[in-house]
Amino acid sequence: MKALEISQISFSYHSSADQSAGGIGYALHHFSMSIEQGKIHALLGPNGAGKTTLMKIITGVLRGYAGDVFVLGNKMPDNKALISIGCAPQAIALYMSLTALENLHFFGVMANLSKDQIAARSDAVLAQTGLTDHAQKLVSTYSGGMQRRLNLAVALLHSPKLLLLDEPTVGVDPQTRNHIYETLSHLNASGMTILLSTHMMEEAARLCSSVTLLDKGEIIFDGPMAAIDNLEKFFLEKTGRGLRDD
Amino acid sequence: MIKRQLSEIVKKEMHIMLRDKQTILLLFLMPLALIFFMTLAFKGVYADKIYEKQISTMIENESKTPKANLLEQKITSNKLIKRVELPPGVDKDRIFEQGKAQVLVVIPGGFETGTSPVEIYFDPVFDTGYKVAVRSLMASLTVEVVMGIENIDAVVAGLITEKTRKDMIVPNPLQLTVPAYAIFAMFFIAIPMSIGFLKEKNDGTLQRLFTYAVSPNAIALGKIIPYYIINIIQFVLMLFVGVFIAPSLIGTPFQTGTHPWHLIPVTLVVAAATTGFGVLIATLAKTLEQTSTLAASGAILMGVLGGIMVPHFVMSPLMQKLAMISPIYWAHQSYLDVFLRNANLNIILPKLAVLLFFALACFLIAGRRVKWM
Repeated sequence: MKALEISQISFSYHSSADQSAGGIGYALHHFSMSIEQGKIHALLGPNGAGKTTLMKIITGVLRGYAGDVFVLGNKMPDNKALISIGCAPQAIALYMSLTALENLHFFGVMANLSKDQIAARSDAVLAQTGLTDHAQKLVSTYSGGMQRRLNLAVALLHSPKLLLLDEPTVGVDPQTRNHIYETLSHLNASGMTILLSTHMMEEAARLCSSVTLLDKGEIIFDGPMAAIDNLEKFFLEKTGRGLRDD
Repeated sequence: MIKRQLSEIVKKEMHIMLRDKQTILLLFLMPLALIFFMTLAFKGVYADKIYEKQISTMIENESKTPKANLLEQKITSNKLIKRVELPPGVDKDRIFEQGKAQVLVVIPGGFETGTSPVEIYFDPVFDTGYKVAVRSLMASLTVEVVMGIENIDAVVAGLITEKTRKDMIVPNPLQLTVPAYAIFAMFFIAIPMSIGFLKEKNDGTLQRLFTYAVSPNAIALGKIIPYYIINIIQFVLMLFVGVFIAPSLIGTPFQTGTHPWHLIPVTLVVAAATTGFGVLIATLAKTLEQTSTLAASGAILMGVLGGIMVPHFVMSPLMQKLAMISPIYWAHQSYLDVFLRNANLNIILPKLAVLLFFALACFLIAGRRVKWM
């Protein structure tokens, strides 16, 4: 059974009437990919390629798409399968006027964890992300790197089997970045499947064993990382050097 | 599961709201300050207008006859009048310009025979209510002097008498400002409510919530319930201040009416209307700036129309009719029904029905417009 299987997904932010009237394109068009369990898979593409849209579809945030998404064999959207997904969005999606522990407690209840589970898992993920000493502080007092780590901790709280990361190291210092890399390697070693969306080629090359490259909602490349010599060069060759301002 | 998630969302909203000092200032301290200051400001417009206020009056006795002197003495000794003398070197035609007096009374020769009437001049900006009171006083005193009556009030007592119900006190500004600014503050809940919703939408926390199996209904209810509770707390606090604190500080009594338990349905319905307004603003606004502008200007406009800033009874007939388009009017009148009119529930219910209709309309429009992402 695959951790994630996406088959012929098409999605547009515009209505079908808009599309037929103005020929407005799809955010994703006949998109298919799959990830084996226990792998770290890179999702690469220029801005506007459809990476975040894909993440939103997998997590059930966006609905009304054509095609099928299966998470650990469950056809999405499925509430039970949602609990097996952990998601750290690109934005720091935390409540700034709550403490780290209060944030973890809140999202723990949303994930339907018991009070004891929340307490135990909060301790574990805070230790994993190096935030134990700051658990009682308001998130608004955290540095950018600490907030980014807590963003990851919340995603790990309910011990998901599939972890979706959207730019998990954007705007952090090399120390925090390295800490996050090590955390992800440990999680993967314990059997967690990770889908990593990133613009940092060296990050993808360092962590991931397979890669999907998409542009304008369509797949450009899908295969093992080992097949690519220089990821940045490969990326530019496949997607072009022109700026993406639209 | 949904109940637990809902309760946690409510707790989270409460935490966030109560840790925001600006929200506390806006929702609790602003209306308290307004109740105190507006009560003091309006004090002169109500009962103590006649009984406490003294009107600066200059008297020119041109006649100097015994009757003219008696009239001068009667005017001077009346408690409504504070006699002022024309300062040396000041032209009496310019006293209003210089703010030396509000009224000038000229007693001409022959006023007793009706050949030259007593003349009253008013400061052009003088309140009409005071003008009527002074005119009425001068008429009474002149009749007393001319007709040789000792006390005209005693004479007319058999013809006219003022009856007040035993359980009623004279309406005072506190009776109006407590419900008025409680309602006003309750409508201001739309500001933190809509800002909170938009912030969560923008910072990605709302999106993150949807990655768990949380129903949109639980999220919506979880966002409405805390503000509904805060609205009720706001009213209870304002009522507490109105009943127990303000009277001793301002010296103005406050009565809760003979059916104070009617405040429960009124407050529950008013809170539904205010949270409905908040939800509507949250779905109409696209930016944080828009939420503040729409919510604040909406609440102020409804307050002005509804008789919060300017009491409904002093409005022109047209404005009194226009006031009815404001839900704040219906809310305020419902509270006045309880506090001052001792109204039965069947009198209040139609007003509450209007407020419920407003609340339902807001929730319905918001439900159609809401975009979670």
